Amino acid sequence: MNSLKIFLNSDVVILNSQRSFSSGNFVNPLKLPSPSFPTKYHSISASTPPLTTTAAAAAASSHMAGPTSDDDRISRITSAIRVIPDFPKPGILFQDITTLLLDPVAFKDTIDLFVERYKDKDISVVAGVEARGFIFGPPIALAIGAKFVPMRKPNKLPGPVISEEYSLEYGTDKIEMHVGAVQTGDRALVIDDLIATGGTLCAAINLLERVGAQVVECACVIELPELKGRDRLGDKPLFVLVS
Amino acid sequence: MASADRISAIKSSLRVIPNFPKPGIMFQDITTLLLDPKVFKDTVDLFVERYKNENISVVAGIEARGFLFGPSIALAIGAKFVPLRKPKKLPGEVISEKYILEYGSDCLEMHLGAVKSGDRALIVDDLIATGGTVCAAMNLLERAGAEVVECACVIEVPKLKGRERLKSCGVPLYALVES
Repeated sequence: MNSLKIFLNSDVVILNSQRSFSSGNFVNPLKLPSPSFPTKYHSISASTPPLTTTAAAAAASSHMAGPTSDDDRISRITSAIRVIPDFPKPGILFQDITTLLLDPVAFKDTIDLFVERYKDKDISVVAGVEARGFIFGPPIALAIGAKFVPMRKPNKLPGPVISEEYSLEYGTDKIEMHVGAVQTGDRALVIDDLIATGGTLCAAINLLERVGAQVVECACVIELPELKGRDRLGDKPLFVLVS
Repeated sequence: MASADRISAIKSSLRVIPNFPKPGIMFQDITTLLLDPKVFKDTVDLFVERYKNENISVVAGIEARGFLFGPSIALAIGAKFVPLRKPKKLPGEVISEKYILEYGSDCLEMHLGAVKSGDRALIVDDLIATGGTVCAAMNLLERAGAEVVECACVIEVPKLKGRERLKSCGVPLYALVES
């Protein structure tokens, strides 16, 4: 993961020092300066035809009108996400969405951006991957009138389940879905907070396809492009807000 | 639609799985509620109607099934959402509260700085049994200076006396159905 070393600069050293939160200003102290966040991870190239697979690219290319522009909403969402270095292990820059959840406007904007995209697409199922997919999936499902199906780690769902195993860097893991929750003919959306290598999302897609659903798209708040999750999804489209 | 009708439909949507996670336990499964968009919406609406004028500034949801209901309530009433998680899931600085189980103990964590003095908090989970987890949640919120206004659950298991346990800590319980 040599590409991640570009972030191990003096900004990260500052982030590691103790900060007092007594003022209640939770979001600002730990985040990286927001202009550096989207550009270091992803540059939206003007020479590439926009695929409109990131909301940021869509906003840049289509000048969407509305009470708050897409640019403004994406900007606020990006600023609300904080990066925690060396979690869960050294060298990893963890994208923490909990600070987004502390900003009711940014959290609402996040849900609205997904709902606007999917409300006229006849989605009948929103499948959310445990546990952070449970935070974004249900509000989207409720707004578009779809059922919500939790995809869980083994032994959490009671009753009959189907399982899909997937590879990790070392070893394998499994996710499960309830038998009967999804049927042939269901049009599904898969939601998680972030896509990294795409292993978990691929497993989720497989579970849905095994029961005859059509996976219309995967939707995440954050993409880590260097980890090539988008490629791993193959022909399944991916939509993200922040890349 | 009248509350009684909505609650009746909610109760009918739940399913009970015997002997899960271990023999003798009748597990109250809310996933079938989530498969019925009208009933799921009614569940959230009932909580929102109750709390929207109560100046709630924080909705704290207990991992993981509290995450299924809490965020929608928070969004509708304009409150922040704070996840309360098992150990080592939350990145960055946390505060921890240990609580006793039938055999052994467990721990709940909350981010430092997420909640502050003056916050009025609602705790949300799918079900309350003995109330041990909810009491731990209440302690975390109070340690951070919040006032815990109420605990809201879809299901209460009365014979396990969670309501009484919460009452002894000064927190009222609101539950839509009893099992």
